[in-house]
Amino acid sequence: MKVEFMNPFISSAISVLESEVSATIKKGRLTLETGDFLSQEVTVLIGVTGKVEGHVFYGMKEKTAKKIVSAMMGEELLVFDEFAQSGISELGNVITGKAGIGLEAAGFPCNLSPPTLILREGTNISTLNISRILVPLLTQYGEIIVHVGLREADEDE
Amino acid sequence: MAKILIVDDAAFMRMRCSKLLKENGHDVIEAENGLMAIEKYKAEKPDMVFMDVTMPEMDGITAVSEIRKLDSNAKIAMLSAMGQQSMVMDAIKAGARDFVVKPFQPEKVLSTIKKLIG
Repeated sequence: MKVEFMNPFISSAISVLESEVSATIKKGRLTLETGDFLSQEVTVLIGVTGKVEGHVFYGMKEKTAKKIVSAMMGEELLVFDEFAQSGISELGNVITGKAGIGLEAAGFPCNLSPPTLILREGTNISTLNISRILVPLLTQYGEIIVHVGLREADEDE
Repeated sequence: MAKILIVDDAAFMRMRCSKLLKENGHDVIEAENGLMAIEKYKAEKPDMVFMDVTMPEMDGITAVSEIRKLDSNAKIAMLSAMGQQSMVMDAIKAGARDFVVKPFQPEKVLSTIKKLIG
């Protein structure tokens, strides 16, 4: 997993969270993870194919997701219902789409799957031996952990 | 004021965009995929369309082509998170007249309406 694949996602996440919900963001320590991915309370999963392939996950607590969608709406949402789920999925979609533009500019054009939302903590997802870099983003709404597990399409790890 | 069709599989995005357009005096119709968009276009004859790209049933680029077959003068702008160059080129080739990348700025959406339908 090359760090250069990570950077477009971090800069995109910071830019989108700042513009969409006026987030103040402190970036936590990068860590490398291998093995299966374990979902958080709310996890947005997006698949990547093309010159780079793998997965991107955005994980957070439900109360964080609810606060973020409330900020996107400009009104407090009391329950994390289908509408709120659509909002947090779309946020992941927008962050990843913007990162995709960055990857293309770096010479790695790719296609992105529609977002999948996992609403259960501890669901085990195999990422086919692609190692992942994790970056926690600390915001006033709570912590969002960005997990990027990508490799060049013809690269064997 | 115009009649505008918003096509997006995300209910949240349809609501957000719809709210913006209604606040600016437009009539809004919604569809959640490309197939529904074609049916709504035939039935409602909107003045313009905002179309997402990645959707179930039928994607936005295919839907643009199909709508342009029905109405060669259809005024369609893409509204998508997928702003890679190849995606933009495919949309323009299919007949889209503009491409707004999410996260959208309200002013950009409103200026696109002005540009396409005056």
